[in-house]
Amino acid sequence: MVEKKSKKNFYISHPASGLARSNFPMVTEVADGKILRSLPFHVPAETRLYEIRTSRGTFVRPRKEVQMPLAIAHKKRVHSDTRVRYPLLRDGWSAKNPNAAERGKNSFSRISWDQATDIIVEQLHSIKEKYGSMEPVFVQADGHGQSGYMQSLHFWGHYLFDMLQKKKGWGWWTQQVRNPDSWEGYYWGAKHVWGFDQSLGEPFQDAVWDDVLEHCEMVIFSGNDPEATGLGMSGSIALEMPKWLKRAGIKIVAISPDLNYAAAVHADKWIPLKPNTDPALYLGLAHTWIVEGKYDKDYVRTHTTGFEAFRAHVMGEDDGVPKSAQWAEKITGVPAHTIRALAREWYSNKTSLSVYFGGAKVRGTLSHLSTRMEAYVLSMQGIGKPGRQFLRTGAPSFYKKDLAQVPRYPEVDFKGLALNPMIEYAIGKAPVTPVFVPRTLAAEAIQNGKVRWKSTTSALAKTEDQFKSYRYPPTDDHPGIRMVWNENGSQPGSWGHGLNWLAALQNPKVEFVLGIHPWLENDLPFSDLILPAQTNYEHEDLIVAQRSEILGMFYQEQAIEPVGESRSDYEIHRMIGKKLGLEAEFPPVDDWLKKAYDGTIANTKHGLSWEAFKEKKYIVYDCPTWEEWVEIKKQHGYSEHRGGMAWYWDKAGGLDTPSGKIEFVSSLIQKHEPGNTERPPLAKWVEHPESLGTEKSKSYPLIVMSNHAKFRFHVQGDDISWIKELAKVRGPDGYMYEACWINPTDAAARGIHNGEVIKIFNDRGVVLAGALVTERIIAGAVSIDHGAKMDLASLNNQLADRGGCINLIAPVPGEKYAKGAEIDVPEMNVSGFLVQIEKVNPKDIIPGTGVGYSARVAAE
Amino acid sequence: MGKKAFLVDADKCTSCKLCVIACKDEHVDASYAPWTGPQPDTGHFWVDILTHERGKIPRVKMTYQPLFCQHCDNAPCIKACPEDAIETRADGLVWIDEKSCTGCGECQPACPYDVIFMNGALGVAQKCTGCAHRVDEGLLPRCADVCPHDAILFGDQNDTMLADGPDVKPREIYLPEAETVPRVFWRGLPKPWIAGSVIDAARDEIISGAEIVATSLDDDSALTVKSDAFGDFWLRDLREGSRYRVDIRAPGYLSVAEAVTTRGDQDLGTIALKAAE
Repeated sequence: MVEKKSKKNFYISHPASGLARSNFPMVTEVADGKILRSLPFHVPAETRLYEIRTSRGTFVRPRKEVQMPLAIAHKKRVHSDTRVRYPLLRDGWSAKNPNAAERGKNSFSRISWDQATDIIVEQLHSIKEKYGSMEPVFVQADGHGQSGYMQSLHFWGHYLFDMLQKKKGWGWWTQQVRNPDSWEGYYWGAKHVWGFDQSLGEPFQDAVWDDVLEHCEMVIFSGNDPEATGLGMSGSIALEMPKWLKRAGIKIVAISPDLNYAAAVHADKWIPLKPNTDPALYLGLAHTWIVEGKYDKDYVRTHTTGFEAFRAHVMGEDDGVPKSAQWAEKITGVPAHTIRALAREWYSNKTSLSVYFGGAKVRGTLSHLSTRMEAYVLSMQGIGKPGRQFLRTGAPSFYKKDLAQVPRYPEVDFKGLALNPMIEYAIGKAPVTPVFVPRTLAAEAIQNGKVRWKSTTSALAKTEDQFKSYRYPPTDDHPGIRMVWNENGSQPGSWGHGLNWLAALQNPKVEFVLGIHPWLENDLPFSDLILPAQTNYEHEDLIVAQRSEILGMFYQEQAIEPVGESRSDYEIHRMIGKKLGLEAEFPPVDDWLKKAYDGTIANTKHGLSWEAFKEKKYIVYDCPTWEEWVEIKKQHGYSEHRGGMAWYWDKAGGLDTPSGKIEFVSSLIQKHEPGNTERPPLAKWVEHPESLGTEKSKSYPLIVMSNHAKFRFHVQGDDISWIKELAKVRGPDGYMYEACWINPTDAAARGIHNGEVIKIFNDRGVVLAGALVTERIIAGAVSIDHGAKMDLASLNNQLADRGGCINLIAPVPGEKYAKGAEIDVPEMNVSGFLVQIEKVNPKDIIPGTGVGYSARVAAE
Repeated sequence: MGKKAFLVDADKCTSCKLCVIACKDEHVDASYAPWTGPQPDTGHFWVDILTHERGKIPRVKMTYQPLFCQHCDNAPCIKACPEDAIETRADGLVWIDEKSCTGCGECQPACPYDVIFMNGALGVAQKCTGCAHRVDEGLLPRCADVCPHDAILFGDQNDTMLADGPDVKPREIYLPEAETVPRVFWRGLPKPWIAGSVIDAARDEIISGAEIVATSLDDDSALTVKSDAFGDFWLRDLREGSRYRVDIRAPGYLSVAEAVTTRGDQDLGTIALKAAE
């Protein structure tokens, strides 16, 4: 119970925390059960911060740590209209006749927790009796929603079924494997050039800032936008790092179809290019360098393999087409003189390339070619030399060989934070069960009945795994997916072809859909039973600040009474587990947290016991002094101002690739798939079905780029009036439409004016948006962020999403292949796809008649 | 009580909008009598970010201007109010006494900064109070408290933090012609630029180091910049509405001249120079 007394401060986990790793918390004032305000956290004076000392000045971080606007506004989601307050059963559902086609159309009625958990247990027994195991249960579980350390984590579904298999012998279950969503292009591409299996294809960041701030002269922001997503994923430091670059006198060149939020304020030069044409731009650079002799020939000889094949391809010796700057201009839309100027600047200045995670650039069709080509050009200029690095302007701390990206004690990295083993379900080396479906193929696994693909898609899988064949269902006489366990509702708004996912949920083969979520939104109305989960304000938990460049832990007390009959995700699974005889596998929360905490140096070295920690409520670890850091670096082979790939510069070997070197021609692809034209052994510019210039682009001549939203977090936040006001376009009908950036020439050609309602469509469906006519997007492309909250409506008798959820009509990887063919690269390609746009008369929109959104909660 | 002041630096603002949300977090559904009643859930922006999209592709940049009540010593709203409901505190913060305010709306058009909002439900005018309730407790206004870039500073008016110094642009006042004597000082207020790129069209190469000279036709003053490594140039911080002659010269090329009037930012596009005979 929450003590009701006057004002008290709580540390509350930031709502965009994912996978048990968090930013620093909000400091939230609560009085009499009401959330008053959330204030920045200030790193206590007792904590020693680091300094990065360079000849260009000393770089520090502020003690003030702010969180994204959504975090502050999240208090409004606690009692929002869409909050699920009680277990809700769909009115059209019965065990005998699930009425699958009515999912999303029916209303819901309140039932008790006991009834709800009974229904779930009965359904599981029924699956077991009919099909002999839990294999027909598709357990989604993922981050991409409100997620805390333990209580509101989304992996308890995976854990529950894992325990049913291990402890009760109920057989395997179908794991939805999280594809490497934030790293897609690097995972499917750059890994074949330089490995880095442990960091999903992006180079390690050991002490990289010492090197960059001392030596670097120019940084390429390759689609990098820390101003949009940095606060959400790293907190304040993501906003500080670009300022460090500026203060060190480093020039910033932004390459992106849109003038993104970082480019808009930080870039000295913006080079707009057509979405997902980066490989052609890089080829144009390489051509200029080769013709002018402006690359590091010694490095290429000693540190790479296969360069001669690349050189021959660039010069057109293999296909008769020199990949000159003029050639690249036609594909990218970047003037040839700009490409050559960039090439010369890149060569003559010590240049690093930066990303945040990868952004829209790495989530396009064949974006694995972009990242391989990016690795090629970085290699031509000697990556690992002083000032020539791959730089992440964000904080997650697992991108290391030995050391953190800024001065930090290794001991704090390895033993400072309480690890939550549940994250291995998301970031693992392999699926936990042999029966699994990558998240990019979820809808197809239901709709097509059979899918074949390569790779587990597990985040930390070895590159070799990308050549192993898998299938679902595992055998031809298998029942396939009969039950869906949905823990966050992010599938239609974050992955491709969301409309097909909604259709899959209405597939009569699916006997039961369970939704566990605090809000009735997105695909949750397509559930048969919805269990009310809690927000972070409503339960105690640990907060593990690992997504920052300094590390700490916090104790989150329960701040308010639970809303309605909501329970934490953990408690929900604990209740279900109890009815299945798994009580021992779900210990009391405090026991579980204590166990996780006790092994950390907070307890073992600093002597702060679990009980004392709960009293004090935080620990933020000291950073080493610069002198200590230089000593630590020396022990790991780095001199004072070296870091990043310096070790590779010294060693010319030791990468995860078979040769241990940077491979222009991938020896693994050469070995396993020498004839693959989609992902050839040597990366090339490959035209694909979503490219401009194809037959399809005659009907759909615009290309969508889709970033993460600045004010939402994936699919969450659009139900907050304040967040809507920040980012939406108010249409002439007063409706708040998702903003779609369109270039003035493309708008004029369609008679579209700023603020008007438009339809964005292709063969997959129709999405409505509000036009934002702007010079911030290159002609021929439009920009609309992913994850807008669905609001299905009807436009001239056609289903149209008025909410502007563009992922509903984004591609899925299987489209590139013949039906039933094995999918070589099950990539997530939700940006850089073809559409047409037309002006819409808002009078033609009939709200709420579309599938899913006639659903209303019948009674509370 | 010492007089207070704000310093807003548009060069530092990245439009993260934390100030906007923090203001709502503080004021929606919360009353701080006597300084203000609750802000409505939506529609009011006691602090907002004015967004200036500047230039043409590819020479586009954004300037953001966090705007809120300028807490004027010579406040037009005070003069416009028929009920004498708008008052200045001893520390200089201007507030609307909602007990006296009748919601007549006379103050709203009187404000040259357009930062007064009508609250129909309460029948009063409302605006930024400078978080007077927090200032009384020695705390910062929420916008200044949350700003991650120090783009909004608040303190005693003589605080060195708010003063001019050797390494910073001199302080300015927003809309000085309104003669409001505001307590909000500015840096980085957007001023027109003339931008363009210089190329050699015959060779299809950019020309860096070209000299671009803007000569004012009003007073003969001149500003010179050179095109950069991408051939781009920006003549910055020009006077609004002034006429300039812009000469573009590079050794070995014929010069080009254009007449430009700075009605906002001017983009000359890609200027192709021809080689001299």
